[in-house]
Amino acid sequence: MSDRDRDERLLRLNAALDGELDAIGSRAFEREMRDDPALAAEYQRLAALRDAVRRHAPREEAPQTLAARIAAMTAPAPAEAPPAPAPTVIPLRRRARLDRSALAMAASFAVLGFALGAGLMALRTPAGSGALADHLVSDFVRAAIAGQPFDVASSDRHTVKPWLATRTTVSGDIADLAPQGFPLVGGRVTIVDRVPAPTLVYRHNEHLVAVTELPIEKAARGGAGGIETIDGYHVARWADAALAYVAVSDMDEKALSAFVEAFRRAASPTGEPARP
Amino acid sequence: MRGSTAEQRFREIVPPLLDDAYSLAKWLSQSPTDAEDIVQDAALRALQALSTVSVDRPKPWFLAIVRNAAMTFMARNRRKTLAYAGDMTDLDALDPREGDDAAPNPEQALIALEDGERLRKAIADLPPPFLETLVMRDINGLTYREIAEATETAIGTVMSRLARARAMLAKSLRTES
Repeated sequence: MSDRDRDERLLRLNAALDGELDAIGSRAFEREMRDDPALAAEYQRLAALRDAVRRHAPREEAPQTLAARIAAMTAPAPAEAPPAPAPTVIPLRRRARLDRSALAMAASFAVLGFALGAGLMALRTPAGSGALADHLVSDFVRAAIAGQPFDVASSDRHTVKPWLATRTTVSGDIADLAPQGFPLVGGRVTIVDRVPAPTLVYRHNEHLVAVTELPIEKAARGGAGGIETIDGYHVARWADAALAYVAVSDMDEKALSAFVEAFRRAASPTGEPARP
Repeated sequence: MRGSTAEQRFREIVPPLLDDAYSLAKWLSQSPTDAEDIVQDAALRALQALSTVSVDRPKPWFLAIVRNAAMTFMARNRRKTLAYAGDMTDLDALDPREGDDAAPNPEQALIALEDGERLRKAIADLPPPFLETLVMRDINGLTYREIAEATETAIGTVMSRLARARAMLAKSLRTES
């Protein structure tokens, strides 16, 4: 084998390992591996090395002190988004500043009470049927007016899933719905009954839809399927064998139905929609 | 996002990427305290830049700033330099010997992989261009295209650096046992 062939082979091995071959290239490569045990063995060694790097040199969490210093670089600014019912927003996580002026503090508390009252009530009372949906709508509105609809911004399922998996206890597969017109934009953690639940955020034109995944038993008292309307937002619920889902969106009912249909098809291995 | 201020966009983009930024800075500087300074400097640069630029892909964009901040920091503080002193042309040619993966004893090679301390040292000893490429791929999870964007190199260069980085790792794990 010439040096050039050897180079080519090594580059393709790495590209295959990193998922960088296109569909045709990766099928061809799989065929070659079947016919060439040496190539397959090389691939296994390379994969073992890559896995070992991920295991022993994982991404580290930034120290809280650093996160606080970064958060302090920008004071919460007045929201410019028109749908906000209030002129100022306190993002709830990390970004709260202790050194803001007393005036701003007073204004913020007033706004907090006004904008989040319903959400906080829902947090404190056990989530009954309506409370769960109310809570998730509040969460959706809060995230939207904070200009922070997700904590991890990525259209890459393989980025969002591990991020959520380290922060929540349930984690379903993340469907790729971009072909159906609903690209993934990120994920965030929603607290339901004091337990973190993963929420996936998809976009559709100018609208967002947030899908919260819950253990079946938690959502069971949340009511049946179908779409309801709370404060002008549409809420859809459904379940598959493993998890229950609640989707909150500012898009219209028809678009939300299409989204739910696409999501269920993608989640079901047979391609058939899951049970209602 | 249209019509939002630099500060708003900063709050959307930077906090979710802090773990990635810190991990990259820590590998490049080999120091947890330097890494904090580097990320803070990078965040300031990002905040300034956001008043004039719009960002399509936040992750490679911010990690490029972290990388550049790390280079500045290392140069200023006369730490181990991040610039590669050798000839850049030979850097990107693959060394066929490194690709020669004839491990005498595959089991030993596997055991070496599970020695986390040794593996981390082998990664840290990679020359900077290989180190940053490996970290951005396997720790930050960037695609080849995003690494090319973040390091201002061609995709072909990213590919050969990554292949060489992994070959060097495999080799150093074999020889140091």
